[in-house]
Amino acid sequence: MTVSTDTPAPASVSTPATRLRSLGWIARRVGGGVFVLWAVATVIFFALRLIPGDPVDAILGGPGSQASAEAVAQIRADYGLDQPLIVQYFLAMGKLAVADFGTSYALKVAVAPYVLTQLWSTLVLTLASLVAAWLGALALTLATSGRGRVARALGSGLELLAAAVPHFWLASLLIILLSNTLHWLPPISVPGPLGLVLPVLTLALPLTGFLGQVMRESLANAYEQPFVLSARARGESEWGVRLRHVLRHAALPGISLSGWAFGSLLSGAVVVETIFARPGLGRTLLNAVTIRDIPVVTAVALLSALTFIIVTIATDVVDRIVDPRVTEVAAR
Amino acid sequence: MSAPRTLLLSLSVVASAALLAGCTAATEPAGDPVAGGTLVYATGDAEPGCLDPHVGGNYPQALISTQYLESLVSKNSDGEIIPWLATDWTESPDGLTWDFTLRDDVNFTDGTPFDAEAVKANIEHLKDPETASSTGYLAVGKIEGIDAVAADQVRFTLSAPDSALLESFSQPWVSIQSPTALEREQAVNCENPVGTGPFVVTDWVKQQSITLERNEDYNSAPDDAGRTGPALLDSIEWRFIPDAATRYAALQSGDVDVIDNAQPNNISSAADVATIEELDAPRPGAANRIELNSGKAPFDDIRVREAFIRSVDVNPGVESLFFGTAERSYSVLSSVEPAGISTPDVFTTDPEAAKTLLDEAGWNTIDSDGYRTKDGERLSLTFPISTNQSIPAEQSLFEQIQASAKDVGFEVTLQPTDLSSWYGALFTNEYNVVSAPYTKVGADVLRILYHSDSIIPAPSGYYANLAQLSDPALDAILTTASETSDASERQELYAEAQRIIVDGFYVLPLYDQQNHYLYSTSVEGFRALPPVAAPTFYDAWLTN
Repeated sequence: MTVSTDTPAPASVSTPATRLRSLGWIARRVGGGVFVLWAVATVIFFALRLIPGDPVDAILGGPGSQASAEAVAQIRADYGLDQPLIVQYFLAMGKLAVADFGTSYALKVAVAPYVLTQLWSTLVLTLASLVAAWLGALALTLATSGRGRVARALGSGLELLAAAVPHFWLASLLIILLSNTLHWLPPISVPGPLGLVLPVLTLALPLTGFLGQVMRESLANAYEQPFVLSARARGESEWGVRLRHVLRHAALPGISLSGWAFGSLLSGAVVVETIFARPGLGRTLLNAVTIRDIPVVTAVALLSALTFIIVTIATDVVDRIVDPRVTEVAAR
Repeated sequence: MSAPRTLLLSLSVVASAALLAGCTAATEPAGDPVAGGTLVYATGDAEPGCLDPHVGGNYPQALISTQYLESLVSKNSDGEIIPWLATDWTESPDGLTWDFTLRDDVNFTDGTPFDAEAVKANIEHLKDPETASSTGYLAVGKIEGIDAVAADQVRFTLSAPDSALLESFSQPWVSIQSPTALEREQAVNCENPVGTGPFVVTDWVKQQSITLERNEDYNSAPDDAGRTGPALLDSIEWRFIPDAATRYAALQSGDVDVIDNAQPNNISSAADVATIEELDAPRPGAANRIELNSGKAPFDDIRVREAFIRSVDVNPGVESLFFGTAERSYSVLSSVEPAGISTPDVFTTDPEAAKTLLDEAGWNTIDSDGYRTKDGERLSLTFPISTNQSIPAEQSLFEQIQASAKDVGFEVTLQPTDLSSWYGALFTNEYNVVSAPYTKVGADVLRILYHSDSIIPAPSGYYANLAQLSDPALDAILTTASETSDASERQELYAEAQRIIVDGFYVLPLYDQQNHYLYSTSVEGFRALPPVAAPTFYDAWLTN
């Protein structure tokens, strides 16, 4: 952060020229997004075929027994697995281009609607976790920054600890404490908000620590700024200074990081959904990779990439709204 | 990843068990059966892709389909075949024709009557390539013709005598479904198969649960059930909880009533918890065992195979890692198979004898890392491990085996992989040692696992004879056994076959295929159905 003054927003934000530049910026981002999706699809396609083994096993319900020659031949033909690899690739890409995700090898259902249902469950989990992490980080930093050394040390110590805790370990700890010992919450995900508490805590706590660390640093920076001095001179209360002036500065790096944070929540969902037996993209992906359910793996990977791209673009837009200087720099 | 979690949870479990032990009351005798209530079952097995066990045919399907589908025959706890949907059967003297008499008072839950035409439609469904059946297809492989002689009479014509036919028919993968329902699209039938069982599938939320509701018209309980008429439970909620520690925590907290795939540490600590009981129901067919690939070097030499078996001591590992929940097996067959013979004398540990055998076999030089070599080549063994099928305790056991084999000079390379890579290694013959589960009712499983025909890969690449045992004498015995109806003669043939397999040091038996259920004391009358030890809740009721 090289900011030295509390610059007011430039008046030029909504001129036609900047609006055009903004449109171009968004177009470039969208184009980049499409490229990323194609790359993801290609990597997934070839990676899954490099693993030894045969997708026909996934289709046959796999292991343990021998299928008839007719059944295997039938399946190869039905799923186009008898075609050369490169033909399969172009066929697959052609279908993906028109959003045709095919039928799951293992679940025998259409992939698109199935994965969309799972996406909803994961989105509820990750968005709730993101909100919880933000609230936690704000509460922690605002409560302990700008105070004495002990409070600061305590705050940053807690953040470091929280950021370092692995999800699976935290999940076990929460189950032991809140479920088995105190009997407050069910150890498995049940329908309704109650079942969401433990999974959200598991995902949100490490992120709280991470966001808190980043925000604490920029908070400390902001306290050094002249506008804080002037606000104090005007007789603003300590909490008034924090909430009205310092917070905006402190939040900026947090917002920028939220896109990344969302991605980390998506990957954390694999562990959390498995431990708490919660439906979702993470568990779907884990199952599908294990049994090589190629259509499902592809769909989940693409959907996760798409969600991540959208969130990253959205974060940048919010960033520009909170701090218009970003636009100026980026548009030049 | 799961090691620290398992440790942590076991510590907590020990602590809570200690607390509970202080206030343990004597178990009250169960009262009269009470109707009503919803039982919550939590499975750690994979979520089936299709609820119709004809499609594919694996154990997760067997676990649940026993609640809504029924078979022609069953087995009682003594291992005898008993009537179920079929009341009587006769085999022609040449073994090529079987006549079955069917119950005439049973309907499928969609109203279709159960009759000979229904049985015919089911066998045809299993044999249809579009069904993509594997286990069920194998079971009915010798059936060539099916005739509905009368509404309650069906006749099967076989291509060769099949002494395992009744055992095959008792498997859930060969259960009988409504022919009307089978005519629907496969995807529809997968979601909602229709049988004659005590419960009906009403809802399936993927990755969450399946809802089963009582069949009010149920009247076809097998002969060994304790009662008749509809089930006592209103419904069953069948939940999927993949994480073993969470599953056990949910049982402890009372959120679920029964769990399967209970891990050794949980079973051990549950023994001290007054509110939890255990049901140990070993799967039939083969025991859990290590197969030695005799199809290539170095295990194409019997001396090297014997040296390997002499070099490893399985017992201390089984005792410590399984907390006394698994008993060492010295038989190729599961302990529930009456034809199994136990030969502890064959599997004694003797490192000195192992070294002598390796010297004789030419592996008599030792390299700088302490491994034996022959003509400059190291005595190396590749051991792919499926982390989806081997629980952590078993993987640790393999590590101990690796360590004790090293003392004699074997280099064992463990390769933990996901299921598809594991199959890949097997299909491409890139293994020397492997442990693969196999469940089938009856001693005829020996033919599938050790007949030389089973070295020829199926079109999918899978072959069951992973020891690659090719012995014409054994083949002849196994074929004769599968065509012999006389029970005592069969018994002798299977004993002879097992003797050949163990004396050739092709296999190292470990313990029974684990099927441990833990359940709350509020569940009464819960049992495993003998054919493949899958749970049945027809007899069960909830006391609270």
